[in-house]
Amino acid sequence: MPKPVRVGLLALITSTLFMWIFGNQGAQVIVITALLITVLTVVGSVFYEKQLESILSTPVLPGLIGLLIVSVFISQLSGLSIIGVVIGGMVAGLLFSHLSLMPRPMSIGLITGLASAAFLSVFALQDHPVLILGGLVAGAYGALLASPMSVTIKSGLLTGLVGIVFVLTYANERPSIAIIGALLGGISAGLLASQKQHRDTPGQGAIQGAIAGGIAGLSTVAALLLVWQFIAGASGISALEFAEELKETVPGAHALGLGSDISTMLLLIVMSLAAAVLVGALIGAARTVSGPTGNLLVYAVLGAVVLSLPWIDRAANLQLLNAIIPVFVFILLALGLNIVVGYAGLLDLGYAAFFAIGAYTTGMLSSPHLGINLNFWLVVWIAAAVAAVAGLILGAPTLPLRGDYLAIVTLGFGEIVPIVFRNLGGGGATGSLSLSFLNWKLLDQLDLTGGPSGITPITPPKLPLVGVFTPANQIPWFYLIVAILVFTIFFINRLRGSRQGRAWTAMREDELAADAMGINIVRTKLMAFSMGATFSGFAGAFYGAFIGSIFPSSFEFSVSIVVLCMVILGGLGNMAGVIVGGLLIMGADRMILPEAANLIRDIAQTKTGSNDIAAYQDLTQLRLLLFGLVLVVMMAIRPEGLLPSARRKAELHPDDDTRKQEDSDLYDAERDPHLAGR
Amino acid sequence: MAPLVEARATPLLEARSIIKRFGGLTAVSDVNFVIEKNSITGLIGPNGAGKTTFFNMITGLYTPTEGDMIFDGERINGLKPSQVTARGIGRTFQNIRLFANLTALENVMVGQHCRMKTSLVGTLLRTSAMRREEATVKARGLRLLDYVGLGSRFADETAKNLPYGDQRRLEIARALATDPKLLLLDEPTAGMNPKETDALTALIREVRDSYESPSRNEKGLTVLLIEHDMKVVMGISERVTVLDRGIKIAEGLPHEVQSNENVIEAYLGKGHAAKGKGGGGVIKNQRTDSKNQPAS
Repeated sequence: MPKPVRVGLLALITSTLFMWIFGNQGAQVIVITALLITVLTVVGSVFYEKQLESILSTPVLPGLIGLLIVSVFISQLSGLSIIGVVIGGMVAGLLFSHLSLMPRPMSIGLITGLASAAFLSVFALQDHPVLILGGLVAGAYGALLASPMSVTIKSGLLTGLVGIVFVLTYANERPSIAIIGALLGGISAGLLASQKQHRDTPGQGAIQGAIAGGIAGLSTVAALLLVWQFIAGASGISALEFAEELKETVPGAHALGLGSDISTMLLLIVMSLAAAVLVGALIGAARTVSGPTGNLLVYAVLGAVVLSLPWIDRAANLQLLNAIIPVFVFILLALGLNIVVGYAGLLDLGYAAFFAIGAYTTGMLSSPHLGINLNFWLVVWIAAAVAAVAGLILGAPTLPLRGDYLAIVTLGFGEIVPIVFRNLGGGGATGSLSLSFLNWKLLDQLDLTGGPSGITPITPPKLPLVGVFTPANQIPWFYLIVAILVFTIFFINRLRGSRQGRAWTAMREDELAADAMGINIVRTKLMAFSMGATFSGFAGAFYGAFIGSIFPSSFEFSVSIVVLCMVILGGLGNMAGVIVGGLLIMGADRMILPEAANLIRDIAQTKTGSNDIAAYQDLTQLRLLLFGLVLVVMMAIRPEGLLPSARRKAELHPDDDTRKQEDSDLYDAERDPHLAGR
Repeated sequence: MAPLVEARATPLLEARSIIKRFGGLTAVSDVNFVIEKNSITGLIGPNGAGKTTFFNMITGLYTPTEGDMIFDGERINGLKPSQVTARGIGRTFQNIRLFANLTALENVMVGQHCRMKTSLVGTLLRTSAMRREEATVKARGLRLLDYVGLGSRFADETAKNLPYGDQRRLEIARALATDPKLLLLDEPTAGMNPKETDALTALIREVRDSYESPSRNEKGLTVLLIEHDMKVVMGISERVTVLDRGIKIAEGLPHEVQSNENVIEAYLGKGHAAKGKGGGGVIKNQRTDSKNQPAS
């Protein structure tokens, strides 16, 4: 019997025995231990070995001793029987210590499955059938992703995760989220597939995109079925209620007169699949066209998808816009910060300051608070200009500083600005401004910013045909932020390829050499700060008007950090990367995590009747922990980000041929008598 | 102050009693120095003689503690490097400092930064003037790459991937892109084999004779080079200045400098110089010596 099979059988027998002896708690112990070991092995391999296999193939004995220690620790923490923990730990340890002997898909599938099961057990689903089912499904998906297959199918499976995550978190209450999930998954699938494998004719591209999109759509639909059959029930939604939701949210269900839930479900599935295949095919075909026309086509497809979102949202009654719009605001911020950090190489940890300045400018000039109630369309420009000037003013003291010192000073500014806004108002002796000259009182107890309670209400924008923008109808807001984003991308793109953009890059590469080549460093740095600040001024103005009120607490340090995370995760210096990073992080933050937390709460309530869940089970409380983890892992395995600019990639991964060149230079220098004599 | 060398015409660069102190250390001490237009001048000296410090004072990286640096009739000490470059001094670095992750063409285009006029507004609106300027800058960049012998085949190659010798050439092209009147080369042949050295020497001569400025109606430019390789300096320079421990110890035609006892002593030690002059006090007397040297 080959070793892996032997070990597998052993593990199976032990764990069965173990479950039989210890009952329900047994599964938990196995799962917690497996989770810990997964984390330890992954972290360990990432930091010390950079590859999973070598650490996993280390001798078993030291590993077992380590496991013993971990087990004691866990038993102390969890109050479980130490023998149970030790046996569970050994089973998991044996499994993991022989992972390297298994074929890759099997090992990856095992890790994914166990990790998911552990995740489920921690987050309220301590329901063994669900736990096992979830682990099996996730494991199968992981194994599928790791197995050798065509690039097209793999792209579809990978991007299908987008749809899966959306459906799993949303679909118990809003089943028609599947359309949005499939649309996003399909378009990413088309993009990824064409990126990995270029096709020549539009026809081939369309077929490739359609297959990839279709796979992504199928993954989404599979998740939908999972929700329908299992998760909705677990979260306290009866089959009847779910059928009702289906009928209400699936567009066209009423018009077609569909009565039964199965036929509505079929309609939803067909619509999701069609959406995924269609956008996949369109983007696949567009990507085969080269040159500016091709770019234009790709933008057109992407634009059509983005612009259709609010209408799908309305037709399917999804109410997603309230979450999508802040995501776009943060992408705008990330694009601005990318100028400072990505192009000019100046690490700015206080970027939220400019966001605050833009928002407060809008608040002061466009609300009844100070009695100045200017039109939003004017104020948005004033806010951007004020932010730009603030960029110059806050940038000036940092000019002589580099690297860490610059980061520390900008961090300080990021803290100071919201505090200043907090203390410039609120009434009373400290929270107001008084200024007198001789006997004239110029300012008497002026409450400039409203203090901790902020400024409210901020006057919303108004347009001839649309009327006043209201919180109830968010479609105009959506188009406004999309317009600002398009405007921003357009102009940043122009800056990047220009004299100014080259100066930024040159300064980032070598400040001294750039100076010696005639680039005015002072002006170039200030320009970077100022341009970056301008776009966050736009973001601040929009955000203030959209939320309708502003508070100092909306602009604290974590905002700067989250925006920086978006830039780094996506890829410093590359706008497409920054947008992807922004979608992932803010999408997770504003859309997925809150919904997942709701789902967990619902499930907990269904199971126990109580709405209380532990703090560690509330995913929204864990957001910073999750971002931190993502960032640490990214820095360790892919420091250049998901979609790096070619230049950054080159910096972080010196090509082998460069190294060879250096080696040969050394060799020449040693051998050359002319040089050796020097 | 009497000129040390009788100038044939207005000199392009004149250093008047330049002193540079770093704390208690005097790196350059009372150096007077003149560069004639369209000449190739060599600046030599043993390690630590103050050559690069002197260079950095010309290009604005350091400000002289005392003395004046006059370029083209204008006092330039105290100006920032970028301002000095804008006035027409281009330089290369001893340890190559290209923008390593930019392409060769982009490097040369960055060099033309201070000669470009497009403003931020022009860039954002992509005016026709801006597009025309971009095209001109690109065309000139390609021409310059060709001129220094890199050819346009390397235009899109990342600078750090170029062979060592080509990186040196690219640095010269980038310095030329700033449209200098005076080109400062800091050890341009360091680390090159004899064949590459010869080719680069030829290029320096060629640049001096035939460089065509886009803005001025004249051919050629002036070159000042620091060089360790005596053969290169003596072969290419029309005049040579020798620094030792921050003091100018000799100046003149290459062959004159070569036989100067102070120079031999500075390079080879006291024993060798003693044969010629017979003993101590050489360094102390050197300034009188150099003053007594005939102007060429």
